[in-house]
Order: sequence, then structure tokens, then C-alpha cells
Amino acid sequence: MRFATRTFLSSFIPFAVLLAISFWAIRASVMETVRDGLRASVRDNQVALAREQSRNEGRNRKLLEGIGENPSLKAGLQLLAAEGSATGQARNTVQDQLSEICDSLSFDFMMVSGVHGEPLAAVVRYAEGFAPVNLTRLHPPEQGFFSTDGRLYEVTSVPIHEADTQVATLTMGGRFDISRFGVPAVLLQKGTVIATQMRDLAPAQIESALASCPAAADCEFRLAGQQYLSLPLGRTAASGSDGYSLRSLQNVDAASAPLQIILRKLFLVSGFIALAAMLGISALSSRSIAQPLVDVVTHLRLSAATGELPEFPESRGGAQEIRDLTQGFNNAARAVRESRERLTRAYVQFVGSLAQALDARDAYTAGHSRRVSEYSCAIAKAMNLADNDLEIIRVGALLHDLGKIGISDLVLQKPGRLTPEENELIRQHPVIGKRILENVQGLEAYLGIVELHHENLNGTGYPHGLKGEETPLYARIVKVADAYDAMTSDRPYRRGKSHAEALAVLRSVSGSEMDPTVVEAFALLGDQRKQPAFAGTQSLRSLSEAVQSEIGTAALEVVTHEREAS
Amino acid sequence: MWIQLGSCALVAAAVLAGADIHGTIVIDRKLSRHNVTASVGMYQRGVAVELGADGETDPLAFERSHVAVYLEGGPKSTATEFPKASIEQKDRRFAPDLVVIPAGSTVSFPNFDPIFHNVFSLSKAKSFDLGNYPEGQSRLVTFPVPGVVAVYCHLHSNMAASIVVAPSRWAVRVDKDGIFSLKDVPAGTYTVVAWHKTAGTFRKTLTIGERDAAVSFTLPYAEPTDAGHVAHR
Repeated sequence: MRFATRTFLSSFIPFAVLLAISFWAIRASVMETVRDGLRASVRDNQVALAREQSRNEGRNRKLLEGIGENPSLKAGLQLLAAEGSATGQARNTVQDQLSEICDSLSFDFMMVSGVHGEPLAAVVRYAEGFAPVNLTRLHPPEQGFFSTDGRLYEVTSVPIHEADTQVATLTMGGRFDISRFGVPAVLLQKGTVIATQMRDLAPAQIESALASCPAAADCEFRLAGQQYLSLPLGRTAASGSDGYSLRSLQNVDAASAPLQIILRKLFLVSGFIALAAMLGISALSSRSIAQPLVDVVTHLRLSAATGELPEFPESRGGAQEIRDLTQGFNNAARAVRESRERLTRAYVQFVGSLAQALDARDAYTAGHSRRVSEYSCAIAKAMNLADNDLEIIRVGALLHDLGKIGISDLVLQKPGRLTPEENELIRQHPVIGKRILENVQGLEAYLGIVELHHENLNGTGYPHGLKGEETPLYARIVKVADAYDAMTSDRPYRRGKSHAEALAVLRSVSGSEMDPTVVEAFALLGDQRKQPAFAGTQSLRSLSEAVQSEIGTAALEVVTHEREAS
Repeated sequence: MWIQLGSCALVAAAVLAGADIHGTIVIDRKLSRHNVTASVGMYQRGVAVELGADGETDPLAFERSHVAVYLEGGPKSTATEFPKASIEQKDRRFAPDLVVIPAGSTVSFPNFDPIFHNVFSLSKAKSFDLGNYPEGQSRLVTFPVPGVVAVYCHLHSNMAASIVVAPSRWAVRVDKDGIFSLKDVPAGTYTVVAWHKTAGTFRKTLTIGERDAAVSFTLPYAEPTDAGHVAHR
């Protein structure tokens, strides 16, 4: 698993889980609070309603007591008392009066009863008017519910006084229609549901739920998975004898449902937003954590692939650890590079010493390597070779006769002609030089020049007798420069040729031994020895410059110091 | 004796053959405001209806027909023959609810309802209480003193009737067009009295000669005057 993925997951998953848990917990607690609050407010409402209802009842009662003072009705009662209740017309008269009162006051039931509760006359409203009621089956309570002819009435009673003495009781009321009741309610008789507003609840369910409720107190219960609140309403106490009880039945959950839905939506939306924000933040943070490391890794991979040890750019931002890491790498890389430079410097010093030693063996050949290097560079420049090639040619030319170290001074410095054996020894020097250098790391590029600078174009050269293009261009250039310097240098046994003579000789072998292109390029340059830059101290400087190109400025300083010291 | 005297006067008037008084009552706005209940049946009391909705299409006609007109003063001309007057109790109402009679007349109160009624009056001109009596029974009351008698029922507070007891035999109830006539009035100076239950009593002095006379009342704009002997409610 990639580091970025891991950091992302390890930051996102715990936060997401925590977020989900805390959201769920908050939501649950808010819901609970809201529901409690609503339940309390529903209860308050119900209590207020119940109180209002009983207050209304009291007020109504005062109004109804006025009906008991109706003089016509009192006259009717006197008539009834005088004529006797057996007389149909007297009762008709009172029933007529009751009908009239009922009509004008919108009652559905009215009854007068004597002081001992015996019914004297009663009427009920039918669709087309009022009709008397069979008194024998009529036993309404003073206050509360009763049913007759399959109709449910809610009645209340007021006394009829005559000179401070109650002579009769007037009972009146209306049909009880629970659907027109202001609050959700249920009417029970002895625990059995008579009428209910909760149409979606089975009466049996309500009965069993309400069975545990105290008659005169409010109670809460669960019904069909919902929380309900039930309060006794008004008349319950007075209607005890018939076992009627009217209770409110409020679905608390339904009351809080709209709010709950809103809350649920709110939480869902905010949860998703938070989760999305979390996702973004996690991605960003994992990126910010992983990116520097990924950068470091990429850098290291590149270093591994190229073998170079480039330093990290100095970064001000980023984590301290990453800075420490890159700084550590930079230090290590610098140390490695320095040691590599030191190594290379040591080689170059070694090689330089060899070249110096070679040149020093013979006063006549002193500066030969340096001059060949100069000429070769001039030719290469004239042939428009690249800077890289120039450097290889410059150093390679310096080292081209290194192999002569392995050749005896007797042969090397012998005046006069060499024997074939001695000549054979001399001809060994390119191979010896190659052998010396080939084990030194970093000097591989110069091997061609050292080994092949005596090959001829026509294959008559040594050590391998390569032909034409088989010899690298570097070697062909150095061969021309070497030959020219050999011809123009003084020797114990002869004076050096002039530039023109030497050039003529070169031209004479151009095409056979020498590369004509190189010869012509050299010819075009003119006499290099007249160049002002061509000073004696150039040898080491040239070598230093060659080294510098290889290992940088540090080496140059070292070499220069050493030269000055010597 | 009083009755005999009256009949003598009547005979004299017939001989004299007096003039007629023709009159009109003009009422241009409703004077009474009361609900009448539709008497559909004993226990089928309909909703309360505004006056004029139960056949009485013109409320002004109702007002005009509830005006009593009679003569005061002039030669003694008390009635010797009395018209039969009756106030029935039917459908829990008095019918008719206005009766105009000469003093000394008798009014019967038959009960045609299947329930008891208890007719009574507390008026100064005649106070009586007929007690409870059922369907089929009737009671008689004589009114010797002129004045207005308000009649009620103890058992039914919405029942009310008026009996105008006139001091002379020239006493009529105006018809619904507001027209009345008092026949054979001997020459002399009279006060024509118009009475309406809520508008009050209105008087106009009139001298009758050989020819018919005309009189007109506009109620209730004429200044109501105190009838003196009329008991106001």
C-alpha cells in the first residue's frame, strides 16, 4: 500500500467513524430532547385544554342554571303537580315547553325530574323535530354520559327552585359526537371503547393500553409503536356510576414527527457535508504529509538510476523531519562526492605525476606531452568538435606517451638509430600506456588515444594495424600533433624541422599514414608555436583545466597549489 | 240598566241616521320587531322566522292591520249590541292577537291546542287569570271598562294578545290596507283615536255633520297624546 493511501486511510477512517458516531449520538440526544420537549408541551396543552373544558363547563352551568329559573317552566311544573303526572295533556304541555327550550338553546335532550329523581317529562331531538321519551327506561346521570335509543348524550343538570326550595331537576344536554371534539379523544364505558377519534387504532388496542392508566390521572404508554399521552377530560369524576370516562389520546410521536423529519434531514445533510469535508481534508493532509516523502523518494530513485547524487534544493517549508532527511542526504551526498572527487584527484595527481615524470626523463622531450595536447586541442577546435571531445583529446594527448614509462632509458634516450629489437620495444608503449590506465576508473575515455595514436590510416601502424576509420578520430588527431611535435623538436642528433618542412612531411604521408582531414585542418591553423598563449607553463595548467572539467574547481585549486609548491 | 240605556241610544241613532267616517292609516315603516314562530305542528317548531316571512308578505300591512280606531266623546252612544269576540289558543299563539270591542263586551278564550294554557292579564282595565285549562275548554271574560288589556299565558311566555276596549260602539280594527270606516255616527264633535301597540295612541278631533267625513293618520309621526284612560304597557 502506498504511503499516501495509508496516510489518507489512517486519517480518514478514524475521523469518519468518530464523526458518524458523534453525529449519531448528537442526533439521538437532540431527538430525545425534542421529543421530551414536545411531549411536555403536548401535555401542557392537554392539561390546559382539560382545564379550559372544565372551566367552560362551570360557565355553562351558570348559564344553564338560568334555564331553571324559567317561569313558564315553573308554571308548567305547577300544572303538572296540580293535574298529576297521569294526565297526558299536562305532560304534553311540559314536553312542549321543553321542546321549545331545547329548540331555542340547541339542546338535543331535556328532562325534568322530581326532587327524588323520578322523571316527569323528557324530550329528544330527532331529524324532524322533538319527541317525548319513554320515561320508564330513562335514567340519565345528573352529569355525564348516557345513551338512550342507541344514541349517546352528554348531559348536565341544574336545580329548579321555588322559594329557595328545590322542586325539580332539569337535565339537559346534546348528543355527544366525538368527531367534533376539539382534541383527539376516546370515550370508554367500563374500560370498553364507545367512541374514538383514533380511527386507525383498534379499540381493543386502546382498551388494553388504557387499562393500566389510573382513572383520574394522566398516563403515557406505547401503542402500535408510537408514544401516546392520555389525560382524563372533565366529566370523568361525575360519570363514575355509569363507568363512562372521556380521555384525550394524543400521539406524541406524530406531534413531533414533522420536527423529527426536519431534524433527520438536517443531520443527514450536515453529516454528509462533514464527511465530504473530512474526505477533502484527509486527502489534503495525506498529500501534505506524503508529498515531501514522495518527492524525496523520487529524488533518491533518480539518484540511484543516474548514479549522480544531486543535492535537494533548500526548502524552507515542509516538516522538520523531511528537512532533516534531505539535509542528511545532502550531507551524505556531499561527503560521497567529496570522497569521489578526492579519489579522482588522487588519480589525476597520479597520472599527472606520471606525465611529468615521463617528460622529465628526457630534456629533449620535455614539454612534448603538453605541446601535443595544445596542438590536438587546436585541431579539434578547428574541426568544430564538441567541448566534451576537446576535453577528452586534451587529457588523452597529455597521457598519450604514458606507456614510455615502461621502456628503458637506454632505448628511449639512445642517440642514433634503434635496432629492430629496440624499435619493437618502443612500439610497445601504446599498449603499456593502455595497460597502466585501463585499471584506473574514470580514465577509460583516454584509452583510445593512448593505445591507438600510432595506428596508420593504411593499416601499417601499431599496435593493431587498424585501418582508416577503425582508429578513433581522437587518436588520429593526436597522431598528427605527435608527429608534428616530434619533427619540430630538437633532438641530440638533429635540429628540429621548421613548421613548413614538418607540414610538408605531414602532407606527404597524408592519406597513407595521416588522416588528410586532420592534416588539412592543422595546416590551416598555421604555426601554433607563434601563438602568444603558447607559454612553457601551460602544460600543467592544461592538465589542471582538463582535470577541472572532470572534477570541478576544487581539483584545480589543489593541482595549482601543488604546482606552485613544487 | 246600563245595557238598556245603550240599546235606547242605538235606536235613537238608527232613527237619526248619522254620517260615516272614512279614514286611512298610513304607516311607512315597521313599528314592531318581533319573531313569529312557524306553527307547523305541535313539536315541529321550525326555526325562528322574521316577521313577514310566514305569509305576511308585507310587514307594513301587518302593522296597519294591528291598529285599532275608535271614537271618544260626542253624544253618549254606548253599545247596546255586542259583537261576538273570541281569542283562540291555537298552535301556542293567541288568534287573533288584537281584538277591538266596545266596553261591556265579552270575549271567549277557547283552547284548541292539545296542551294546557293559562290565560291571564294584569292590565288596569281588566285583570284576570283563567287558570290552567286543557284542549276543548273555553273561558269567558267581560270587559266593562274602556282601556287596553294585554293578555298573556302563564305557560307560554311568547303568547301575547291585546284587547282594545273602546268607550263607544264605534270601534274597529283597521284592515291591512289601512282603511277603516265608522258607520252611522251622529252629528257632533268627536275625538278619533288610533292606537298601535308600539306606536302609541294618536288623537284627532272631528266634528261630524250630515255628510260623511274623512280622517287620516300617519303613524308614528303624529304627536302621540295621552289617552288618559288607556293603560300603556
